[in-house]
Amino acid sequence: MSRWAQSRASWLKPDFVFLAVALVIPVLDLILPGFLQIGSQMRQIFLFAILGLGLNIVTGFTGLLHLGVAAFMAIGVYAFAILSSEIYPFRFGFWGALALTPVVGALAGLLLGAPTLRLRGDYLAIVTLGFGEIVQDVLRNVETVTKGTQGINPLPYPNVFGYEFVTETYQPWYFLFLGIVVLVVALNRNIENSRLGRAFISVREDELAATCMGINTVKIKLVAFALGAALCSLAGGLWASYLGSTGEPGNYDFQVSILAVCIVIVGGMGNISGVLLGALVMIGIDSLVLVQLTRYLQQQGLSSTANVMSMPNNWKYMIFGLALVLMMRFKPEGLLPSRRVKAELHHDEPPKPADRLCPNCGYPTGTSTVCTECGATVAASS
Amino acid sequence: MKAAISIGLRTVGWFCLGSAVSLLGGCGNDSPANAREASPAPAANPKIIKIVSSLPRTGSANAQTTTLVNGIKMAIDEVGGKVGEFTIVYEDWDDASPQRGNWDPAVETANANKAVSDPDVMAYIGTYNSGAAKMSMPILNRANLVMVSPANTAVELTKPGLGEAHEPMAYRPSGKVNYVRVVPADDIQGSVAADWAKELGVKRAFVLHDREVYGKGIAEIFRRRAKEAGVEIVGFEGIDAKAPNYRSLVTKIKEQNPELVYFGGTTQSNAGQVAKDLVSGGLNVKFMVPDGCFENAFIDGAGAANVNERAFITFGGVPPEKLTGKGAEFYENYKSTYGSEPEGYAVYGYEAAKVALAGITKAGKKDREAIRQAIVSIKDFDGALGKWSFDENGDTTLKTMSGNTVKNGKFAFVKVLGQ
Amino acid sequence: MSTTEVLLQQLITGLSNGMIIALIALGYTMVYGIIELINFAHGDLFMLGGFLALTIVGMLGLDATTGNATTFVAVGGLVAISAIFCGSLNWTIDRLAYKPLRRAPKLAPLVSAIGVSFVLMNIGLFWGGLPMDVFSDGVAAAAPKDFPALASNKNLLGEASDIRFTVKELMVLVITVPLMIGLTMYVKYTRTGKAMRAVAQNPIAAQLMGIDVNRVIGTTFIIGGALGGAASVIYSLYNNTIHFQMGYRAGMDAFTAAVLGGIGSLPGAMLGGLLIGLVRAMSDQYIEARWTNAVVFTILILILIFRPSGLLGARLREKV
Repeated sequence: MSRWAQSRASWLKPDFVFLAVALVIPVLDLILPGFLQIGSQMRQIFLFAILGLGLNIVTGFTGLLHLGVAAFMAIGVYAFAILSSEIYPFRFGFWGALALTPVVGALAGLLLGAPTLRLRGDYLAIVTLGFGEIVQDVLRNVETVTKGTQGINPLPYPNVFGYEFVTETYQPWYFLFLGIVVLVVALNRNIENSRLGRAFISVREDELAATCMGINTVKIKLVAFALGAALCSLAGGLWASYLGSTGEPGNYDFQVSILAVCIVIVGGMGNISGVLLGALVMIGIDSLVLVQLTRYLQQQGLSSTANVMSMPNNWKYMIFGLALVLMMRFKPEGLLPSRRVKAELHHDEPPKPADRLCPNCGYPTGTSTVCTECGATVAASS
Repeated sequence: MKAAISIGLRTVGWFCLGSAVSLLGGCGNDSPANAREASPAPAANPKIIKIVSSLPRTGSANAQTTTLVNGIKMAIDEVGGKVGEFTIVYEDWDDASPQRGNWDPAVETANANKAVSDPDVMAYIGTYNSGAAKMSMPILNRANLVMVSPANTAVELTKPGLGEAHEPMAYRPSGKVNYVRVVPADDIQGSVAADWAKELGVKRAFVLHDREVYGKGIAEIFRRRAKEAGVEIVGFEGIDAKAPNYRSLVTKIKEQNPELVYFGGTTQSNAGQVAKDLVSGGLNVKFMVPDGCFENAFIDGAGAANVNERAFITFGGVPPEKLTGKGAEFYENYKSTYGSEPEGYAVYGYEAAKVALAGITKAGKKDREAIRQAIVSIKDFDGALGKWSFDENGDTTLKTMSGNTVKNGKFAFVKVLGQ
Repeated sequence: MSTTEVLLQQLITGLSNGMIIALIALGYTMVYGIIELINFAHGDLFMLGGFLALTIVGMLGLDATTGNATTFVAVGGLVAISAIFCGSLNWTIDRLAYKPLRRAPKLAPLVSAIGVSFVLMNIGLFWGGLPMDVFSDGVAAAAPKDFPALASNKNLLGEASDIRFTVKELMVLVITVPLMIGLTMYVKYTRTGKAMRAVAQNPIAAQLMGIDVNRVIGTTFIIGGALGGAASVIYSLYNNTIHFQMGYRAGMDAFTAAVLGGIGSLPGAMLGGLLIGLVRAMSDQYIEARWTNAVVFTILILILIFRPSGLLGARLREKV
């Protein structure tokens, strides 16, 4: 087996598991009873997975806390809408608009990032949060461009070689969104294993050391910011098409940004498979489990809107909040941790054999005698 | 079509397992039909017709929508849950989420999608908020599923020339009208409100709105009509519906010395706080609001002392206790069934459900297109609201509006407007 | 109203709102000063203080018609109870959620604080669903709740005056100013206060000097929380509405104020709060109400870019 094939095969494993699950779900929908059919709701999970992957570049790889991804999602939503709607002169159609949306997002990311990325961690987080609030107000107030809360509506549905998507059948959407998730994951994997990805991680681990090694940290942060913004905007573009509307600007608020943060944290910061798992768990709880449970209990007469605590969907923030607190306390590296992050978070514990690092590239090698990252031979475990 | 989608998916899924994806995509495309034949659980029962409603059941609109849902249930119970050979099943869906305390576009879209993909659903009662209607209208329209709104009043949903150039046709991608509403639209309400303000002796008015579809829309109609009627508009501003108070805004209003403040908005967009801060700011002027505030939650939220004899509420129709004929019967039945007073929109829920049932009866078969046609062509409907018809846009021909105020913490009917 | 009167009125309104913001901002700035944690849960802690106050008001049956003397005592009692409640709750939260993470990377306690903020917000939602008269019998838990007007709208400058300085504004002044002076004195002159400043400057050195750092941090959480609790009662009496999501907006304003003044600096938080209140009022008057929020956050971003240490903050170095 060539070095290339060996390393690729190992890093793709969890991703393939997810892909396999994703491919099975529509088939299961054919067999399972109604309330267990989750395919049509999976689209939201795919969208949030893209959003999470965008945030993961900024927060997971580069270590910058970003509390305003909803703003970039909103920019994506409106960019897609303005580029594709019939009421504007552009009319690029679904694919044209979707292709341009990340470009607009990246530009917005550069615009915000350029003056602010010199700031320290916490302050940067606040700037992104403030930016999120400003974007909402601007979208709402600049009505000549955005139509304010009227929303831009309706927007084109996807169209694949003349096949017009419809809302009654979710399967075409499902596979389209899944395909885009696959592409985004592939992109992320390639970034992770590139010179750029290592530069991101070096900035996260130790900015000072990274600078000493000749990395222009501001530039690297800016690239991470722009890439993250581009992916968040892509998620926004798909979301707009899924809704068939921009919705209203207030929908892209702090709660959405925090949901994305939860996805990355719960899943495993810095780990692409972890982010996918995070999206599955968090959005699964949010838009599948709680919603279905609420409907079921209501039909059984066990819960009513008059009693706030009897409605499972009213427990959402309790669950999310406790999840975050408990994760930070007991498993800060997330459900599916990145090995580097895990090693860092448990640095006061003695290193287990699994934490041995490759002498050549520094990547954790586990018990293998060959580094999965660079292919160098590692001394056999003692 | 099948070939096209598998090619398309292959291009997307080239990265890996391309052939497997397209294979699944191919069978996924026509799966709903297969699913129904293959599995017993979700199979459509040809004798069951579902009516669903999509209303904000979480948040402060809950009290209002609860009476509205009660109205729907009453209408269905009155026919014993049966129309001809069909059993009517009603489901009460929520289009709000607790964190918004108001309708949520993602939830409303999901509801609409769920409705169109459930073959038993033959009528969709909703929405409460005009903004929400914009999400679901095109989705339901493509599926020929009829939508009867008990509460949407924004003009651009149905009336050409009053909204953007592409409205309302944009909400009718199939070209057919599938959306009807039993409540008169804002062009009527905003105008009669302005006329009423004039009648109350107002010469200067300050207009606020919540920057939302419904609130801003009706505020603009109020402004236009008030100007025509010779009321001077001394200010027009959008508020931040989440601000803790509006004290400084009230000072700004006070500087203009108006005799009336009009707020285009709902209880959910902070009408109560605006009313409070007008009093706190020492601006003892009339405060006029549209039907979005015609619910007890508005009085509760504002504090009765702040709105007694000062707040003027327009409403598309008359308050429940002033209904006559079948409406009066409804009012009595409601009180005896639920042991409480219905809120303003309860009767519209009842009427919307009656319309849906009438459509199903007239169509006589479980077919969305037939039921849609039967409903949009309703003429001279003898219902709880009186005798009315749907016009070619799906609007009711009713134009009765009422003016209400608040006395001793309760809504009090003042007069019928616009006649 | 003349232009001058309008300006004066906006100053009064802006400063009143600003004082409430400042009181909340102190809670942020104290905690940040000592453990460099943006305590996201502070706004929601503040919100729960308001719900507790309304519950007590409901149980005692107080309303606008209650006599002056009773109201006076009751308001004092509410401030005290709410402060004790929020102070002890804040201390408990620190023990459970932040203390175990003192040595973890900085992101961990911040995320934990966001989690706590969610939990508190959800508790607020459920609290609003209590079957009490003041919560409209709990049928609409998520709806805004009316807080009885215990402080009246009576204009102290005479009802004929166009400028209004009401009992409400006086109440804000009378409660806020002593609290701020008291806090300043406490931090400046008491042993614990000195210990706080020492820990804020350098926790390791403080520990070496025999200061019980954990106890000092605990005290900081208690005081910060207590100020938030007091602020919640003032806020409720001033605005007469509480809502389970009010913590987010109030928290954002307060946090902006703390950053504007220089996070970690007590006088900075007070100044920042007043300035944010004034900016809001001036923006409502001279720009447009719909832009006010954007104006506040733009100021925040500009401050951070051009003077990250804020108006009164010491220049902070990144600790390596």
